[in-house]
Amino acid sequence: MNTILPKIALRNLARQKKRSFLLGGAIAFGIMIVTLINGFAGAFIENVSENFAYLMAGHVFIQGSEKTDSGRRLHVIRDGSLIVEAVEKTALPYSFATKSSEVAAMIIFEGKSIRQNLTGLDIANSTFLKERLVLKQGSWEQSMAPDALILSEKVAGKLNVLPGDRVTASFQTITGQNNVADFTVVAISVDASIIGSVMTYVNLDYLNAFLGMKPGEYMSLGFMLPNLKDASEFSTALYESMKNLGMGLFERSAQDDSGSATPFQALMRNQNKETWEGVKYRVFTIDDVLSQAKQIVLALDSSSLIILLVLFAIVMIGITNTFRMVMYERIREIGTMRAVGVQRREVRSILLALVAMGGLSLIDFGMDSPAFLIMKNGHLSFFLPPARALFNILVISLLTILAAYFPARAAAKMTPADALRTMK
Amino acid sequence: MPIIELKEVRKVYPLGKVEVHAVKGVSFAIERGEFISIAGPSGSGKTTILNMIGLIDSPSSGEVEIDGKTTSGLSDKELTRFRHEILGFIFQSFNLIPVLNVWENIEFPLLLGKTRISPQEKKGWIDWLIEEVGLTEWKTHKPNELSGGQRQRVAIARALVTKPQIVLADEPTANLDSATGEQIIELMKKINRELDTTFIFSTHDAKIVEIADHIIRLRDGLVTENQRRTEEGIIPCP
Repeated sequence: MNTILPKIALRNLARQKKRSFLLGGAIAFGIMIVTLINGFAGAFIENVSENFAYLMAGHVFIQGSEKTDSGRRLHVIRDGSLIVEAVEKTALPYSFATKSSEVAAMIIFEGKSIRQNLTGLDIANSTFLKERLVLKQGSWEQSMAPDALILSEKVAGKLNVLPGDRVTASFQTITGQNNVADFTVVAISVDASIIGSVMTYVNLDYLNAFLGMKPGEYMSLGFMLPNLKDASEFSTALYESMKNLGMGLFERSAQDDSGSATPFQALMRNQNKETWEGVKYRVFTIDDVLSQAKQIVLALDSSSLIILLVLFAIVMIGITNTFRMVMYERIREIGTMRAVGVQRREVRSILLALVAMGGLSLIDFGMDSPAFLIMKNGHLSFFLPPARALFNILVISLLTILAAYFPARAAAKMTPADALRTMK
Repeated sequence: MPIIELKEVRKVYPLGKVEVHAVKGVSFAIERGEFISIAGPSGSGKTTILNMIGLIDSPSSGEVEIDGKTTSGLSDKELTRFRHEILGFIFQSFNLIPVLNVWENIEFPLLLGKTRISPQEKKGWIDWLIEEVGLTEWKTHKPNELSGGQRQRVAIARALVTKPQIVLADEPTANLDSATGEQIIELMKKINRELDTTFIFSTHDAKIVEIADHIIRLRDGLVTENQRRTEEGIIPCP
């Protein structure tokens, strides 16, 4: 096709600025809504995964479990040396490993109390925690104290505590005995998220002593990987390596016959049915824990696709009607072109070029505008996978061209005499 | 050999539930280089006959031969190519492309089809045509910046740009005042003499009809008079 036909299409587009803008605006609005939903859904799972990874101190976890004669399960890793050997055999990289223990506790201060998860870590050497937690009051130096406790500003506000205050925590030991321990508030952190506000950090050895665990024991070992995407590969390799060393392991399965919602729930339910001796390990990833969140994202994605289709059904009707109007207005011009030697396919092309140039540039605007708005804010996250963005562009481009195709074909099929005879 | 020959051409239009017989069996021949007027009142079938000669409409029956070639049975693509190569059109309402300026409107037919000429040759030819129709100072203007007469001059130049053998003009003076109309016909006649292009124009203006050297008069879809003006006088055509 020679250059004059696209030139005519472009000039016609510019000639009807208001109509082109309204038509393109409808397309841009549709794609903007879908891009926003896709973008937020994408960012949601990324952020939740990363936040959880830092709060749980890892992407891949190993937990130990013992079953007593009375049937009680004790969450404990007695000896980590075999695990270290298994990890070394995988030869897969990880950023750091963190030993931790966790217990649900009631923190009490001057008659006020609040339920919190006490997470025992080697705070002094937890660089990831120092990177992730922003302290509002207190300092990291004071966290060297064995009874140090770091809580969020929301919890501190509810308890009305300040750094230096002594609080009491009431919880159960691993064998189910009620116990209490005193801690010193050394720092108050900024609330990073809702999840962050339920986490209270204490020193691992100090907590373990009150949980009835021996020195060197802990509940969980977390591996922070260079990339969240490596979690599945790392956990599979680690699982196989531990199995090869003859370590007792719970089966990793996505679903069980009880209809568990997540792989992690399936893992927990399976262990309730089983009996075993010694420590048996479970290996799981942050994705196993968060698979429900992924289901939400999947639902959001499906919804956005339905919204996309509904919006475009409406937009397509609009485009078709507008195009019929354009054809009608330009019918004599089309007739003249046909008379002087423009072929049918060229008439069709010129009309489709009109919608392609107008529509596609505004599709781009629709894609860019939400990204611009979100990025400007800085605090909100927005992530649209490139493949998804490309898919959206393709679907919308095809639908837009399809909407214009039929009126364009009808105009191209008219005989020049009929087109010239048509009175506007 | 005549450049155009119509043989028992009929055209029937469906108009709602009734059929309109616009042309009821017309036969005539046109020689190369003639300046022909198809005259008649409104509804006599002038435009329909011009459309069929111009291959933008097809007869319901009968045959239209152009340059010795039978046109029935040609595909749309072939007809379009034929129109582009052999025919030029001038319309009553000028029908210029509003987004293109004078120069671009005249250039437009040259950009279609497969035949290409060098940029220098093209520029020289279009500039000559613009000068010939007296629009040198207006060549960068858009159609809406021109008078009716100027627009029709652009249309004449556009019709001639592909050097067609035949130019068809459907009531080219109908939207112009009489003085401008006469100028346009004189211009067409001048080009007809200079380029030996066959000009066929329809009109119902008796004054303009007389300028033609071959007059075909129509009434109710039939030829009522077909005569040539020669040095010896008016001769009826067979």
